[in-house]
Amino acid sequence: MSAKLKRSILFWILLSPIVVVILFPYAVMTISSLKSATEVLTPNWWPSELHWQNFPEMWRTSGIAPALANSLYVSALSTALTILVSIPAAYALSRYQFAGRDAFRQFLLVSQMLSPIVLVIGLFRLVAGAGMIDSLNVLVVIYTAFNIAFCVWMLQSYFSTIPRDLEEAAWMEGASRWRTLISVFLPLAVPAMVVTAIFTFINAWNEFVIALTMLRTEGSYTLPIRVFSLVAGRYTVDWHYVMAAAFVASVPVAVLFAWLQRYLVRGLSIGAVK
Amino acid sequence: MTIRQKICLLAGASLIAFSTSALAETTVRVTIAEYSKGTGPYFEEAAKAFEAANPDTKIQIEVVPWDNLQQKLTTDISAGANADLSIIGTRWLLDYVKEGIVAPLDDHITPDFKARFIDTFLSPSVMNGKVYGLPIAASARAMYYNKDIFAKAGIDTPPATWADFKTDAEKIKKLGGETYGFGLQGKEIETDVYFYYGMWSNGGEIVKDGKSGLDSQAAIDTAKLYKSFIDEGLTQPGVTSYSREDVQNLFKQGKVATVITAPFLSNQIKTEAPNLKYGVAPIPAGPSGDKGTYGVTDSIVLFENSKNKEAAWKFLDFIFTKEQRTKFDKVEGFLPVNAEEAKDPYFADNADLKVFTSLLPNARFAPVIPGWEDIAQTTSNAIQKIYLGQGDPEATLKEAAAKVNETLK
Amino acid sequence: MQRATAPYVLILPSFILAAAIILWPLKEIISLSLHDVNRFGMIRDFIGLQHFRVLFADPDFIAATWRTLFWTASVVVGTLVISVPIALILNEDFYGRGIARILIMLPWAISLTMTAIVWRWALNGESGMLNSALRGLGLIDTNIQWLAEASTAFPMQIFIGILVSIPFTVTIFLGGLSSVPDDLYEAAATEGAGSWDQFRLITLPLLRPFINIAFVLNTIYVFNSFPIIWATTQGGPANSTDILVTYLYKTGFRVGKLGEAAAVSLIMFAILLVFTIIYVRLAMREAKS
Repeated sequence: MSAKLKRSILFWILLSPIVVVILFPYAVMTISSLKSATEVLTPNWWPSELHWQNFPEMWRTSGIAPALANSLYVSALSTALTILVSIPAAYALSRYQFAGRDAFRQFLLVSQMLSPIVLVIGLFRLVAGAGMIDSLNVLVVIYTAFNIAFCVWMLQSYFSTIPRDLEEAAWMEGASRWRTLISVFLPLAVPAMVVTAIFTFINAWNEFVIALTMLRTEGSYTLPIRVFSLVAGRYTVDWHYVMAAAFVASVPVAVLFAWLQRYLVRGLSIGAVK
Repeated sequence: MTIRQKICLLAGASLIAFSTSALAETTVRVTIAEYSKGTGPYFEEAAKAFEAANPDTKIQIEVVPWDNLQQKLTTDISAGANADLSIIGTRWLLDYVKEGIVAPLDDHITPDFKARFIDTFLSPSVMNGKVYGLPIAASARAMYYNKDIFAKAGIDTPPATWADFKTDAEKIKKLGGETYGFGLQGKEIETDVYFYYGMWSNGGEIVKDGKSGLDSQAAIDTAKLYKSFIDEGLTQPGVTSYSREDVQNLFKQGKVATVITAPFLSNQIKTEAPNLKYGVAPIPAGPSGDKGTYGVTDSIVLFENSKNKEAAWKFLDFIFTKEQRTKFDKVEGFLPVNAEEAKDPYFADNADLKVFTSLLPNARFAPVIPGWEDIAQTTSNAIQKIYLGQGDPEATLKEAAAKVNETLK
Repeated sequence: MQRATAPYVLILPSFILAAAIILWPLKEIISLSLHDVNRFGMIRDFIGLQHFRVLFADPDFIAATWRTLFWTASVVVGTLVISVPIALILNEDFYGRGIARILIMLPWAISLTMTAIVWRWALNGESGMLNSALRGLGLIDTNIQWLAEASTAFPMQIFIGILVSIPFTVTIFLGGLSSVPDDLYEAAATEGAGSWDQFRLITLPLLRPFINIAFVLNTIYVFNSFPIIWATTQGGPANSTDILVTYLYKTGFRVGKLGEAAAVSLIMFAILLVFTIIYVRLAMREAKS
């Protein structure tokens, strides 16, 4: 047996408890989503018949398609915006010494401490005052604001691990600071950008309280709100539909992981080059 | 008519339609609390029908899950961004009236309009002699019982009194297995109400002479009674983890023999557990024959700051026609609030609904007091403590009553 | 770009955005907490610290505060302890590593709200699939009513909290580990350092800043985390699983005491602030020495 195979077996054994626990809610979700309306209340693990039609029925009745589109829009846009404003800030923090540098870092940390639910009344007054309720773009701006701190932090600690000599070498060769940034520095920072982008995307994808407060019409609902409204306070809950909806809602992010995972590994190995 | 003329006519018509819509279109925003998956579609359809008849008004339906309704209304109102119309629990109405948030409707209400309603359901929305809301949904509570389980345990009729009920529950326990006589709710919304059912039967009141009735003998007896059900294994185990929906689910599965709930359970059973044989009976009476059921209405209110009161009223007028009400109540499984609607054979000949309507003379509606939710929370907490055996019934209830009296001040 | 002004220009967009969205609402909250506020947020008389006094006299609030500290400490420490070995494993080369990474990230793919709802469904006493699984495995013979009492509900909530915090933490650690150059290990190996020594002397110190980030951010997130406890027990039964956020939500939006709720927000903010200042000080001192 090769060393790698042995190692693989050992690692998988070590990981198995956590994997089982992680998969448990997914199993519950998947199985429940395939049960009939009468069977979903029985906690058996093997449904007597598989109700695949739950998915198309749920899709038709629950309005999940526009919610999916809204969520993608908001998450993608706020990710882009966050990365866009965070890179310069992180670069400044890691490459310049300036008065107020520590103050800015502390400000970012403090801004992280206020969670949306704590601020929601104040936030809502701000948005309502601007007459921008029920706008997805407002969500984009708010999500960006709440994610900046983390992104800047993350990028900055990564930027600091990129050796200065690389940039300095480029300057020696006569490249401008701006050009160096684009062609030398940022390519090295790709893995960190991917990681922070994932964080932001997921935070936006899953955010609940702000979306619930700001959005008004069914047409602008994002996924968490849409799925939650299938459960919250109704006189009866169609659990098989809820589980099907939750399943569908989790697929895009799972696919994103699967796709970025490869990218991540490749990016990470580039980043590790001295 | 030539084609050319037709086109001209169409163009002219659309021009007129366009210009009126550009000039006079008003949008009425309506916050709708979601009772079931049918709620949103029903209101969307009603809005379309209304818009067809009133092309100058646009209705914007905003559906909110019940659990978040209060939060949304609070944030909306605090920022002045609330809709024109909203559904609220009638039990909250006094708080809204006191703060001048909702507008009285009396200027619009004609005697004809008023005559549409069954008075029992309209009166909870009347405060200081003014109508502040219209009953959009109404229900009462009764006891559903599983006929098969009752037959197996050798019981012929649903229990008339709590004493009978206990004997019945003991018989059901003897059947063995995981079947329990009393489906007792002990979690989340209406945990307090589930306790009031027994308290009313024992002759108690939620509020009497401006004081909490939680420290009355009736309340203490009820707490002890319920606790004895729990201790003797006559309820499902772990009552404090079962919300109203959870207990209803146990009933649909035949795991509990009884549950006290609203008429909408019948609709659910029809689709989710069509083979279940059940009956509906009044909530058992107390030792001195006292009976009580909980009457609940939700109101649709018009906000004082609405700029489209006229148009909003028109929409209200529309959804309270017999036709619209019948559609809504069939979708949701509520009791008819409209006198004409009640004569519809769907309601009039429905055996389950008949039981509910027959209970209405004994129905208690939430008392007109401020801070209903505050009191509900205090009460639920106290009751949960008793169910869990973490507090002596008498002492815990007295403490809760003192707290409630603070709120009532 | 002028060198002296360059950094300010670079940080300006992020600063403006964060300040507008976060500081302005904070100002609102402070004003709410010092005034008599009706249940619809209309501000009336200035009443100073009255709301705070009411809170500190409420045993439920005090209990919720302690419970929050316990909740945060348990979830954060539990998460870190589990995440470090997972990240170390996932950083190694082995068959199926890609799949393993995706699996570990999976809890992140559903929103916290949904995860909590699925768990609530799974933890149901009679119709829950957890009980039926445990019975199937022969581990229990009567159903456990997980959510009926704090003694079973709260540990379960902490467990779910740990579970959903792992993906975030592992990802941060993976990012950190990838920045550790391989030749350091090779050098250490030639000098005869065992794997434990390598971990202690190379990996851990280099991972340090990432552990710090994960620790601080997790503390903040968990401290403010709402959906898990709300969806499973709403802080019940009888407030026995309440943490400050659920207490805040109930006070503000259910009971309608917005002033007191704002005061709770500020107290929460203050607790986090004090914690972070202390922690950052300690971390900085360590970094210097």
